[in-house]
Amino acid sequence: MNLVARFRSWLKWIVKGRKLEAEMEAEVGFHIESYAADLMGKGLSQQEALRQARIEFGGIEAHKDAMRASVGVRWWAELGSDLRYGARMLGKSPGFTVVAVCSLALGIGANTAIFSTTKTILLDSLSVPHPEQLRVLRWEFPGDQPMHSLSGDVEQTKAGATTSSSFSYPVYEVLSQHGETFESLAAFENDIPEVVASVDGYAESVSVQLVSGDFFSTFQVNVTQGRALLPSDDVVAGGGSVAVISDAYWEWRFARSPAAIGKTIEVNHIPITVVGVAPPSFTGPRPGRGPEMFMPLSMQPIVDPSVYEGTSGKHEDGEVWWLAVVGRLKPHATDTQALASLEGGFAQVVKTTLTSKRHKDVERLRLMIEPGNRGLEKLRNELSETMRVLLVVVGLVLLLACANLANLLLARSASRKREWSVRLAIGAQRSRIMRQALTESMILALLGGAAGLVLGYLGRNLVPRVLHQTAPVHFDWRVMAFTFAISLLAGLLFGGFPAWQATRTDVNSGLKDTGHTTTGGRSKALVGRSLVVVQVCISMVLLIGAGLFLRTLHNLMHSDRGFQSEHLLLFDLGLPETQYKTEVSRAAMFRQLQAQIGAIPGVKTVTFSGHALLAGSSSTTNFDPDGQKFPQHNHAWRNIVGTKFFETVGIPIMAGRGFNDEDSESSPKVAVINLRLARALFPDENPIGKTFNSEHIRIVGICGDAKFRDLRMDPPPTYYTLYQQFAAGNSATFEAKAVVDPASLTGAIRDAVRSLDRELPITNVRTQDEQIDGTLRRERLFATLTSGFGVLALLLASIGIYGIMAYTVSGRTNEIGIRIALGAQTGQVLRTVLREAWWLALAGVGVGLIVALAMSRLIQSMLYGLRPNDPITSAAAATLLVAIALAASWIPARKAARIDPIHALRHE
Amino acid sequence: MGKQIDLLQGTLDMLILKAVSLGPLHGYGVLLRIQQISGEQLEIQQGSLYPALYRLEHQGWIASEWGESDNNRKAKFYSLTANGRRRLHSETEKWNRMASLIASILRTTSEQI
Repeated sequence: MNLVARFRSWLKWIVKGRKLEAEMEAEVGFHIESYAADLMGKGLSQQEALRQARIEFGGIEAHKDAMRASVGVRWWAELGSDLRYGARMLGKSPGFTVVAVCSLALGIGANTAIFSTTKTILLDSLSVPHPEQLRVLRWEFPGDQPMHSLSGDVEQTKAGATTSSSFSYPVYEVLSQHGETFESLAAFENDIPEVVASVDGYAESVSVQLVSGDFFSTFQVNVTQGRALLPSDDVVAGGGSVAVISDAYWEWRFARSPAAIGKTIEVNHIPITVVGVAPPSFTGPRPGRGPEMFMPLSMQPIVDPSVYEGTSGKHEDGEVWWLAVVGRLKPHATDTQALASLEGGFAQVVKTTLTSKRHKDVERLRLMIEPGNRGLEKLRNELSETMRVLLVVVGLVLLLACANLANLLLARSASRKREWSVRLAIGAQRSRIMRQALTESMILALLGGAAGLVLGYLGRNLVPRVLHQTAPVHFDWRVMAFTFAISLLAGLLFGGFPAWQATRTDVNSGLKDTGHTTTGGRSKALVGRSLVVVQVCISMVLLIGAGLFLRTLHNLMHSDRGFQSEHLLLFDLGLPETQYKTEVSRAAMFRQLQAQIGAIPGVKTVTFSGHALLAGSSSTTNFDPDGQKFPQHNHAWRNIVGTKFFETVGIPIMAGRGFNDEDSESSPKVAVINLRLARALFPDENPIGKTFNSEHIRIVGICGDAKFRDLRMDPPPTYYTLYQQFAAGNSATFEAKAVVDPASLTGAIRDAVRSLDRELPITNVRTQDEQIDGTLRRERLFATLTSGFGVLALLLASIGIYGIMAYTVSGRTNEIGIRIALGAQTGQVLRTVLREAWWLALAGVGVGLIVALAMSRLIQSMLYGLRPNDPITSAAAATLLVAIALAASWIPARKAARIDPIHALRHE
Repeated sequence: MGKQIDLLQGTLDMLILKAVSLGPLHGYGVLLRIQQISGEQLEIQQGSLYPALYRLEHQGWIASEWGESDNNRKAKFYSLTANGRRRLHSETEKWNRMASLIASILRTTSEQI
């Protein structure tokens, strides 16, 4: 009832509080004076009348309080005074305030930064109109991939099925015609290849998203400059040499100049015209990874020729699955309807295009539909694990800050005991005292939160930068709401107990001069002890995490790679298709490059390969030995390499031979397989001399197992073929084994390349070790963060232990004095104190161990070479913590042991 | 003074509304009028009048305005709002029903059962 009237009245009080207070005063005054006047009329003296009137009116202040309460503003008025009082108290101890606000700012800031990143990557929808209408298509197949070549995201489910969101071009064509329930369906390459782009003679490496002609209309993205890509751009393979550039690229390459439209960029030496600029909010269909350019699918032969490597090389090839398909549903269409409208056409086209004899059961290829409001999920899955761990770590840091602050507040409340006692004695309610104490904590929390918000804003791009993600982090009201919420939560957490403690003040003893009471002291010590246990527990969790990640990093870096990464210099090189049209010319050029670079003093040997080692790239193909009665459809990893590959990267040849100069375009095709492949497919026979894949590729050697894609993966069954005999690609990574510091060779190599072709850019120069380090960013980030915060936690816990033990000892000075007077030995006293610290530490370590064990399952998949319940790590962390605890309590313990009984007995 | 009776719980609001319904009054005036109408038989704790006035105003049943008192002093006058009039009406009705009900219960004799 009457909510509006009430609210209006309440608001009036809030806004005009001061004026209304004065009016209240005047009203009461008028009442008393009028009554006094009437009493005087009955014959009382003025003084007597006023006195009588006041008495009959009752307690003026109490009634005024009741008046405030009846309009619902008493609480407000009290809050105001609590705030003022709290601010004054905090101002009186600036040291404490600064420490508290800073530690909170650190905790809250870290949480804010990580949350804003997590939100952007994991929760935000794409910034396009009606993202909820977008759908991503996906398929699942029971068993190994049924198509010849599959790129993009591929996953094996637990049941052994293969699932991916990549489709072939013919499938996309059919889907886009059969989608009656879709406004439109667009396709884009399920990968973002790097190309060499040169603007005004300056060459650099940028990434390109190949998209179908209706990509921009499907996502309903409006370009900010020029025009979008149109279906008419994407018609003839090799045609449509236009590009829409990203807002970021427009900024750093063209300084936001309108003249960028119509400008020519040479992409892999083919001139491309810039026709438009994408809006800053749209960084492509993958959150967290934005390309610099969008180009039509028809440009695939120039941008990413490797897609159709080893196949017919035409978009019509149904065996090559490389396109992600995204559709925009018509309003009111359901997923079920959408799927039904596509399934028929899909089954038909799969049957006619996947004709390889290897798979008869392609009808079991099942089409699926998924929400597409957040774009493609691949990156999300990769990052969500990382972000989850980071969230836990920063959460622990905040908890640590809270525990530390609660400790400080407890110490403060001990010194404010007299103040509480006085207030209680003159009639304050205990709940009011509690509110006062909580208000002070909340002031601290909100100050810390405000500072944390600033810190978080400044650090919001830190994690994405460390992990090399380019997505801009959106810092919006949701992040601020989160920061506000965790600030309040933190305030309750660290302020709650001291506030409750304040209400339990014993007025009687609190007012006494010494303030030394047994009961109050004990309960404070109990709270303090539990806080110390919490601190030790958090330290334990962080230290175990640090140990696990450090050991993982160590294991990864020292794992056997199967090749020699020392003194290996890597660089990428791409031959422009316009100048090197034929395979013969490309092979000749690569051979010349090899000779030229090999001649540089300081270079021992040089080679090249299709895939750089441990660079996250790989390709698999089928490997079917000839002459088997029952082909088994085996897959093997394949790298196309130059001669001298094995001696340059240091993979040992175990049997037979490696490639040499006698293997040429015209000689019989040869291959080297690794031990793992040899053991798997030729268990009882000598593979050397055998042929496979009906192409009469002859196995001439067996080499050692070497890791291929990343350090975590055991060496896969791999075979190597010679570039000269399988010249398909026009780009490769060169590997040069140096006898000097590899970095010093960069200039000489550049000159050598230039002496053959002035226009040829070499890109991405790095050592093999740097290449490997690049794949360990996440592990290094975790190891750094957990060990950094672990040490901080350790420090705070040791201060906490020191504090609580010093407090206990000073409280027990009397008792210890008596004990010593009665003949206790120094060692005995020492042991008493240390024993307590020992139990505290042990309790924290025990609880921490349980918590860590429960949480370590979270990170199981991120560890390498050890189990999450690794006993060495746990034991090391526990030993360290107990040792630190004992060391921290050594000083108070020694002080206790040195107590002079005479002095101590007079102490009281 | 002995014959004065204490106010029944919850009836003060009703009395204030009634007093104000007869014309705008300041706080002290409300007190005087209630005492006058009741023939000085009701005891009202003077100070407790004001929280009640504030509560009624907060609920929008009475409105206040500053004006001049009889002795030419500034005073805050309360008057009934339209909402307050409805409220007074419904409260009066409720009270009358209640009173007659209680009265009839108390009148009951053993023969009537």
